[in-house]
Amino acid sequence: MIFAYFLCLGQVALHAQEFKLFDREVQIHGFASQGFIYTNENNWLTMNTSQGSGAFTDFGINVSTNVSDSLRVGAQLYDRNLGQLGQYHPALDWAVVDYRVKSWLGVRGGKVKTTLGLYTDSQDFDFLHTFALLPQSIYRIDLRDDTIAHVGGDIYGNVTLQHKLGDLSYTGYVGHRNDGEHGGYRYYFSSFGAQIKSYGGLQYGADLRWRTPLKGLLIGVSRMNEDITAKGSAINPFNPGEGLVPYSEFSKSDWTNQFYGEYTKGRLRIDSEYRRYWRNQILNGTSESFADVRGWYVSGAYRVCKRVQIGSYYSRYTIANVVTGALSVFYPSATDTNLPTGHEYDKVLTGRVDLNRFWYVKVEGHFMNGYGSGPYPTGFYSQVNPQGLKPTTNALVVKTGINF
Amino acid sequence: MKCPKLLLVAAGLAILVSVDSLADGIKVIANSSVKADTISEDELKLVFLGERISLTDGTHVEPVFMKEGPVDRAFLRKYLGVTEDDLQIHYRTLLFTGRGSMPKVLESDAAVVAYVAETRGAIGYVSASANALGVKILAIGVPGRRLITRVEPDYPETLKQLNIGGTVRLRISISAKGNVENALLLGGNPILGESASMAVKQWIYAASRSPTVAEISITFGEH
Repeated sequence: MIFAYFLCLGQVALHAQEFKLFDREVQIHGFASQGFIYTNENNWLTMNTSQGSGAFTDFGINVSTNVSDSLRVGAQLYDRNLGQLGQYHPALDWAVVDYRVKSWLGVRGGKVKTTLGLYTDSQDFDFLHTFALLPQSIYRIDLRDDTIAHVGGDIYGNVTLQHKLGDLSYTGYVGHRNDGEHGGYRYYFSSFGAQIKSYGGLQYGADLRWRTPLKGLLIGVSRMNEDITAKGSAINPFNPGEGLVPYSEFSKSDWTNQFYGEYTKGRLRIDSEYRRYWRNQILNGTSESFADVRGWYVSGAYRVCKRVQIGSYYSRYTIANVVTGALSVFYPSATDTNLPTGHEYDKVLTGRVDLNRFWYVKVEGHFMNGYGSGPYPTGFYSQVNPQGLKPTTNALVVKTGINF
Repeated sequence: MKCPKLLLVAAGLAILVSVDSLADGIKVIANSSVKADTISEDELKLVFLGERISLTDGTHVEPVFMKEGPVDRAFLRKYLGVTEDDLQIHYRTLLFTGRGSMPKVLESDAAVVAYVAETRGAIGYVSASANALGVKILAIGVPGRRLITRVEPDYPETLKQLNIGGTVRLRISISAKGNVENALLLGGNPILGESASMAVKQWIYAASRSPTVAEISITFGEH
């Protein structure tokens, strides 16, 4: 329904996306997408997918203008519903003032999209990607809030290297991350009877990417450090009859390293990324949690003709976690990544058809092994799988969307 | 530098000569506020990908694209190494992540020339046959060396009457002082190549700390 509305709006807006204000050109752009997922076994991504679910909608709209040659301002609203997540609560996706002093030096402040690997900042924009779901080993759609943006500032620029060695783009950032009320991590916590009231904290990092002299090859590296605090209430596992008691957790060590490469030649695009996320939390002052999350993928996409793309990827995710202290009795360590609880491997085939310049349809098959687990959610939640989880899941994803 | 070319156009002569920017039937044009006469391929690519907002001489620049078509395709393929679809994704990524705006896209040679002529810092591309009145044509292919003096090659009358033209490619050696010391024909009609070599050897570039070797193209006739 909402998608249909945006489809109509988009068709109207396609020819009305620019206007003048105080002699400055103002651009308005937007997008919307609607997905449907059917799984043969487990319910996935907080939806009742084993029955087929269309609770997979998102849309956004932005406005921006160049105030001067060097100064640009803009903002974007974003809203989504993914099963139990998002729930159509609109959020300011980004709102930036961007001042580019030189090609090699710019600063932007406000709510800024975080640069981390190839697609963290653009993961919501389905129309930009061949795949309906980006590799979930790295770009977990249920955990987008973790990395999507920060309130703070970036410093960035581009430097041309001498001797025809290509060019380097860099970004450094610092800010505050604040997860939405209907994010995946909070939902995961609710399975323990916990209610997280606030979740967020300091986030800082850098990204360096090198467009190499080999035509079409880009390689890069990203690093992000976080200092996250969660506060809320939870059932006391030592005395469940006591009711809710205060709960808190905070980062002792929380970092992400990501390495990536992208190669394009004609109609072919090959991407590969590796991410390691290390998370050491102090839980309620009495316990310590260690999570070692590793993911990588290799993807290939080929444009068969102007309107048709096909693609495939292999995505591999593992998680090992250890809990020490008082809570270790209730949360036993899980370090064997060969078990379904310790991994999620996903083989994917995709076809995308662009019906016109603004409207596309994707059909995608996922063949998953494992479902991950531990103190960090992986798309398979116990609340929608009360009967327990099976080791393999096949999924059909159909998605359509517009942008203007 | 611009005037002899305009006179040639006005006189209806068939010869159209420039450096690499005319290869593949394209010329790169800029607003008169752009100080440079030459732009390197690397710099051109970064400007049109939105990575650079100024040239090495400090001039602010704004890229202007042509609507999807043969000229656009040839330009993107040769200088940016991307397809139109890749470019759309690139700019939409910038736009929707809050890192940039959609660039200006115009319908025709005439529209691009008119916009570039009146917009400070604008840099665009048009087909080689376009009337580039009111804009400057940028030479491409010699990174960091500004072309100070350019001498147009003779288009041998016999070849012109027989409509024999095309593009010749030369590898030139530029001394630190800026003189073209050597011009080696890499491809194209040998007679036109000889004519181009003779002209290019009279070109003078800005002085530099070290000699430069570069490849350039010169097109004769409507090719």
